[in-house]
Amino acid sequence: MSMRSQVYEWDAANYSAAAVALPASGRSVSIFVGGFGNNITKPAETTATEFVVIEDIAVTPTTSSAVDPAVTATYRGLKVATIGTGVAGPRAYVQVRINTTDYFLDPDNVPNDGIPGTGSPYPRSVDFQPSFNLYPDVYVLPGQVWDILVTYYLASGVGNGAGTATSGNYRCFTKYTLYDGPDALIANKLLEMGISINPGNVDWYKRSLLSA
Amino acid sequence: MSMRSQVYEWSNLAPTGSLSSLRRTTTDIAVAVPADREIDLFIGGYGNNITKPAETTATQFVVIEDISCSPWLNGNVQIRINTTDYFQNPDVTNMFGIPGLASPYPRGAASTLDGTDNLLKSFDLYPDVYVLPGQTWQILYTTRDGATAYSAAPAADAQVVSAFVKYTLYDGPDALIANKLLELGVTINPNNVDWYKRSLIEQQIAASAGGDQ
Repeated sequence: MSMRSQVYEWDAANYSAAAVALPASGRSVSIFVGGFGNNITKPAETTATEFVVIEDIAVTPTTSSAVDPAVTATYRGLKVATIGTGVAGPRAYVQVRINTTDYFLDPDNVPNDGIPGTGSPYPRSVDFQPSFNLYPDVYVLPGQVWDILVTYYLASGVGNGAGTATSGNYRCFTKYTLYDGPDALIANKLLEMGISINPGNVDWYKRSLLSA
Repeated sequence: MSMRSQVYEWSNLAPTGSLSSLRRTTTDIAVAVPADREIDLFIGGYGNNITKPAETTATQFVVIEDISCSPWLNGNVQIRINTTDYFQNPDVTNMFGIPGLASPYPRGAASTLDGTDNLLKSFDLYPDVYVLPGQTWQILYTTRDGATAYSAAPAADAQVVSAFVKYTLYDGPDALIANKLLELGVTINPNNVDWYKRSLIEQQIAASAGGDQ
């Protein structure tokens, strides 16, 4: 159990069928301890004997549409926003933060909102396929705090348009691998050697130790 | 954090009364996009923009791995490095670039704004496009049909168009390695940069072992 594939799914309504208040549009919130949706007990952090490799992040997509919401409430599974906006969905973005540093930047080196859900949709479907894969992976070294932040901009494209949502309207997903104990030490060693950290390379390093 | 996967998404959305803005806002509405005009996603003056042209510093190296745009309204997307357009016609004349129908954003989008079909990509940006240290780069979006703006009265749907670019930013020592790989004629990707680092470490180990004898 020292290399474990892990996922975390966040639902803004905490899987409630009843309408639940959303964070204000334009405000980025942590999917772990942001105070909205399902949360965990403390910020995500690695201990001295843990190493985390974040392999995928995704959030509810958005698309352009020419549908009248008075006639058709949803387009491709997304809520059609107020007439005139020409958009269906929340205009959502997802960012990775390590300690206090945002991972995704604009070309002028200013931190941005992160990956658009349109580029990395969750859930994936025939209508919404990924244009983005998180490669190279993001490494969270022992002792670091990490966070996944989500931001949406179009309140009328999510939930009932009045600042609330039900389960499935606004979701985020992350996949990561947790290396623990000896495997975390090996992950650190691979990092020093400039070798990508993945289960195959950790196993290769163990084999090379055994055969030496 | 010296090799980082990055993306930039552009849409013709801006606050009321503006054609462009530096930050996305919750009240963004669609702005009109003229037909047949190449619009820089970064500083083109339409939709979300950034503070200055995209350029690499002396210690940065950018590898553009994917570009795509809305397939409707006959959208196209082009890469420009300094003043040179990447995609050309066979007679070496200018063109608008890759059609959104060939590289749709989002993947699986319909070919028209109210369509029900699902487009797959016909195009892969391979080999990747390299932006060397000190170069300026642009991603240009062009719609042949033009896109209409938001209109409150009478309320009618605006035509929202988007474009997307995925690139990897190599910074500091990794940018130097990227330059070295370019000299060697080796493809620049995270795996090869790691391979080059490993080969440097192996050389160092071999040299120190030789010195001990």
